[in-house]
Amino acid sequence: MSAQVLEAPVRGALTGLLLAMADDEFVLGYWDSEWTGIAPVLEEDVAFASLAQDEIGHAQALYQLLADLEGGDPDELAYGRAPEGYRHARLLDHPRTDWAFSVARRFLYDTADAARLDALAASAYQPLAGVVAKMRREEAYHLLHMHAWVERLATGGQEPRARLVAAMERLWPDALCVLDGIEGDELLAEAGVLAEPMAAIRTRWLAGLAPELARLGLPGPPAARAGACRGPGRSDDFRWLWEQFTMVRRSDPEAVW
Amino acid sequence: MQVYEVFRREREGGPMQHAGNLLAPDPELARHYAREFYARRQESVRLWIVPRSAIIDLDDPDLLQPPFDRSFKKPAGYSTGIKAKLATARARAGTGKDDE
Repeated sequence: MSAQVLEAPVRGALTGLLLAMADDEFVLGYWDSEWTGIAPVLEEDVAFASLAQDEIGHAQALYQLLADLEGGDPDELAYGRAPEGYRHARLLDHPRTDWAFSVARRFLYDTADAARLDALAASAYQPLAGVVAKMRREEAYHLLHMHAWVERLATGGQEPRARLVAAMERLWPDALCVLDGIEGDELLAEAGVLAEPMAAIRTRWLAGLAPELARLGLPGPPAARAGACRGPGRSDDFRWLWEQFTMVRRSDPEAVW
Repeated sequence: MQVYEVFRREREGGPMQHAGNLLAPDPELARHYAREFYARRQESVRLWIVPRSAIIDLDDPDLLQPPFDRSFKKPAGYSTGIKAKLATARARAGTGKDDE
C-alpha cells in the first residue's frame, strides 16, 4: 500500500502515529544523550550514548516517512516546532534524573516500543514496514542491554534496588502512554497499517513483561493512567530539553550544513 | 570488573586481529561493550571476546630469543642455488611471486 491509495481518515491517523513514534524516539534519544561523559563507567558511557544515537537515527527515518507522506522537511519537523507541537508520550517529559531512573524509563519504553514495532512489522503501508524491519534489528540489542541492566539493579543490593523500584513506581502511569494517545488507531488496524488497536498492543506488552517483573519482584502497572498522554501540555523539564536541542538551529535557521 | 581482550575480523575471510580491551563486570556486558567499542560503526563482522585471565602469556627470553646464531632456521639461510630452484618450481606450479 502506498500513500496514494490511503483514504483521508486513515492517512490522518497514520500521520499521527508516525509523528508520535518519531517524537518518542527523538526525545528519548536527547534525554539519554545527557549521560554522555557521566555514565557509571566508561564502557557504559559509550554504550548508552550509542543507544541514544540509534534513537535519533530512528527518529530521522520516521520524520522522513512523514515528509514523504505529507510534504515538508524532516529537519524542520524535528527542530522547527514549539514545545507544545511535540507528540511524544508523557513518559518522556521526565528529566534524566539518576541512573536507575534512566534505566527504568528506557526499559519501559523499549519493551513498549518493541510491542508497537511487532504490530507494524507486517504493515500494509510498505514504507513503514521497511523502516520498522530495520529498527527492530537495532532494538533487539537495546532490549538485551536494558534487560541486563534491570536485572543487575534489581538484584544488585539494597540501594540500586530501592532506586529502581522508586523509579518504576513513579514512571509506570506515564509508561502506559507510550501505547496510547494515537487517534484513529482502530482505523489503522482495520486498514492493516497496524496489526491491532493500541489497547490490544498494550495488553500484549504488559502480558509479556509480567513474568520478568514477578521474577525480579518489581512493581507492575497501575490499573489506569490519568490525563492526556501526548501533550499539548508539557513539563518544564521538556521545555529545558527543547531549549537545548533546538539551540543551534534557532541561532541560524537558514544555515546550510 | 574484569579485563577482556577483544579481537575483530574486519571482513569475511580476513584474520582475527587484536582490537583492544575493555572492563566489564561479567561476560554478558562484555559482549555488549565489545559490540559498542569495536563494531558500532559496522567496522567488524566478528568479534572474539576473551577474559585476559584466559590468555597464556609467554615472554621468556630463553624460549623466544635464544642466544646462539639461529640464522640457519630462517629461509634466508638457504643457498642461492636452492632459492633459484624453488623459484623455478614455483613458476612451474604457477603460484606467482616469491613469498619468502
